[in-house]
Amino acid sequence: MQIGNIIQLLSGGLAMGAIYVLVALGLYITHLTTHRVNFGQGDFLMVGTFLMLLLRKVGAPLGVAIAATLVVLAVMGWLLERIAIRPLDRKKTSPVGAFSWILTTAGIALILQNVIELGFGKTSQYSAPLFSSQRDQVVQVLGAGLFVEEILVIVAAILIVAIFYAFMFHSRWGKNIQAVAFNPESAKLLGIHTDRVKTGVFIIAAILAAVAGILIGPLVTINPHMGLVLTIKALIVAAIGGFANPVGILIGGILFGIFESLSNYLDSGFGDLYPLLAALIIIAVKPSGLFSEGRADVR
Amino acid sequence: MKKTYQQSMFKMAFTSALIACAFNVSAQVKVGVIEGLSGPPAIVDFGESYLQGIKLALKDYQAAGGKTKIELTVYDDEANPQRAVSLAQRLIQNDKASVIIGTVSSGNVLAIGPILQKAGIPLVAGPAIATNITTQFIEEKPSQIFRCSMVEKFQIDQMLDWGAKNFKRIGLIHSTTGYGNFAAKEIEAGLKARGVELVAMEAAAPNVTDLTPQMVKLRDAKAELVLNFHESFELPFRPLPRLNYKPVIAGNWGLSSEKVLEIVGKDAIEGTVMGQALDINTPRAQAFNEKMKKEYGKDYRWPVVAALGYDAGLIVFKAVDQVGKPDPAAIRNAIENIDGIQAVSATPAKPFSATDHECLDKEHVFLGVWKNGVVTRLN
Repeated sequence: MQIGNIIQLLSGGLAMGAIYVLVALGLYITHLTTHRVNFGQGDFLMVGTFLMLLLRKVGAPLGVAIAATLVVLAVMGWLLERIAIRPLDRKKTSPVGAFSWILTTAGIALILQNVIELGFGKTSQYSAPLFSSQRDQVVQVLGAGLFVEEILVIVAAILIVAIFYAFMFHSRWGKNIQAVAFNPESAKLLGIHTDRVKTGVFIIAAILAAVAGILIGPLVTINPHMGLVLTIKALIVAAIGGFANPVGILIGGILFGIFESLSNYLDSGFGDLYPLLAALIIIAVKPSGLFSEGRADVR
Repeated sequence: MKKTYQQSMFKMAFTSALIACAFNVSAQVKVGVIEGLSGPPAIVDFGESYLQGIKLALKDYQAAGGKTKIELTVYDDEANPQRAVSLAQRLIQNDKASVIIGTVSSGNVLAIGPILQKAGIPLVAGPAIATNITTQFIEEKPSQIFRCSMVEKFQIDQMLDWGAKNFKRIGLIHSTTGYGNFAAKEIEAGLKARGVELVAMEAAAPNVTDLTPQMVKLRDAKAELVLNFHESFELPFRPLPRLNYKPVIAGNWGLSSEKVLEIVGKDAIEGTVMGQALDINTPRAQAFNEKMKKEYGKDYRWPVVAALGYDAGLIVFKAVDQVGKPDPAAIRNAIENIDGIQAVSATPAKPFSATDHECLDKEHVFLGVWKNGVVTRLN
């Protein structure tokens, strides 16, 4: 394989891996704090891409469109926790209540898909580049062509993981989250408003989905059903990373994206199968994930 | 007393004749439509476009004063063969449909075909394109299965004749679905028969978002022509600018969708070749195009598929009108013998015979090319 091709495949894999990282971080933080994940995390991303599409079509400036998308998704995250998670926690002692959040979050994902279908139709849509009125802005890096948005998504994922790490382990808010994750009752006794923390992590997860949605839109063809595959891949990435710390998820996501790209190059007929098999083997050999031990883990 | 009896008999006969007459005039015939209206976006584009054509044909039929009342019953099979089968049974048993039109997925048509054949309900298939849809039933007497759509073999043959003549290095990208694998086999065998070997054959799952690895291999194999038989028609175009690679792309008639034009862009799609059955430059096609734009606005996105849906509607509604009652056997015969159809697509005036149940024959399929944002006939 030529060196140029290797760089090309690595960069493409990195970009997709970065998207998986952003979605998986949302799953990680809610799972850490509440032991629940939003099965519609990919659909929140999808709503983010369609909101950007709508706002830019009606002529909103880029900054306004991004800010509005982040705000709307934040409100959706808050609503999700209040409607689909918190009411069920009151009934978690019943056998049905304990896992009902899977149904409610997946149900909301279906509702979101249908609402977007009603507004935009069931077909695919083109989402324009963020920083140019022209299509396909390519930058040459070491002989490989990268779209501007790909560079942006890679940089954004690394930055967000760094901020996330600092936030989780070096801020008061992060310590509150860790305390709630460790033991909600003790946290409450220490004066931490646990309900507020739980709502906060779902808002953070929704904002992460919005960021991923804004960045992925120009890179792929968008459609109302694009979220499910992303949710599944993000769950795999979070499982590889160990559901334990942001750095593990970053490495898990990058590994998965690159492996996906290389396997499609080596055997395109079964290109999507090999990364899933590799993930299965990793989880079978190390059920707690690659980076669950020997690194910061709040549990 | 006798006179009164005769009068009563006359009155009864007159009333019966009136009732019979009234029954005949208002006889309503149900036409079932099964289309893929949800599921993968490409399926929805096909299903919605074909249905738009059928609905316009019905509107035109009613405006022209068609004497038989026709009711369309439309169902969405969600590109799911099991659902298509249950909908076909529902149309036969509950809705009492006399004739059925549909659907997008060839696998779904092949699943419902035997049921309709056994039930004696005619089916005008479309926009499914698998080669064997009508031929596998044509020996049955009478065969109930007709089709108004592209035929895969005809478009592939046209493309391979043109490709083998004009390009030295031909590559292929196909999906790993049943359709994609079947098309790949047909293309490989067809090129071999023309003395050409594929320089690269790449595949991709139906739900992938990026084909960079596959297009890198096609570029390295120096493929000048890339045959595109992946259902997400726009995908092979997206990595091309960053790979500094500009092959000619040719493929399935799906490449003529204006949705693909919107996603890929006018410059990138210029010169792309596909199977076609609608010459948009004919006055009839242009009038149809204008009418569809007026009727459906932005939702109208695929002239050739809508045109074939319209032609399927023309044929079915004319046959129903000739029969004038819900009689599937008579409607089947009327469809087979229909003549004088003024089709929008390349469908001839008398499309069918006892041995040919295809609207389009080999000579009606040609190659189209994107030129300045419009699909025109390739010279």
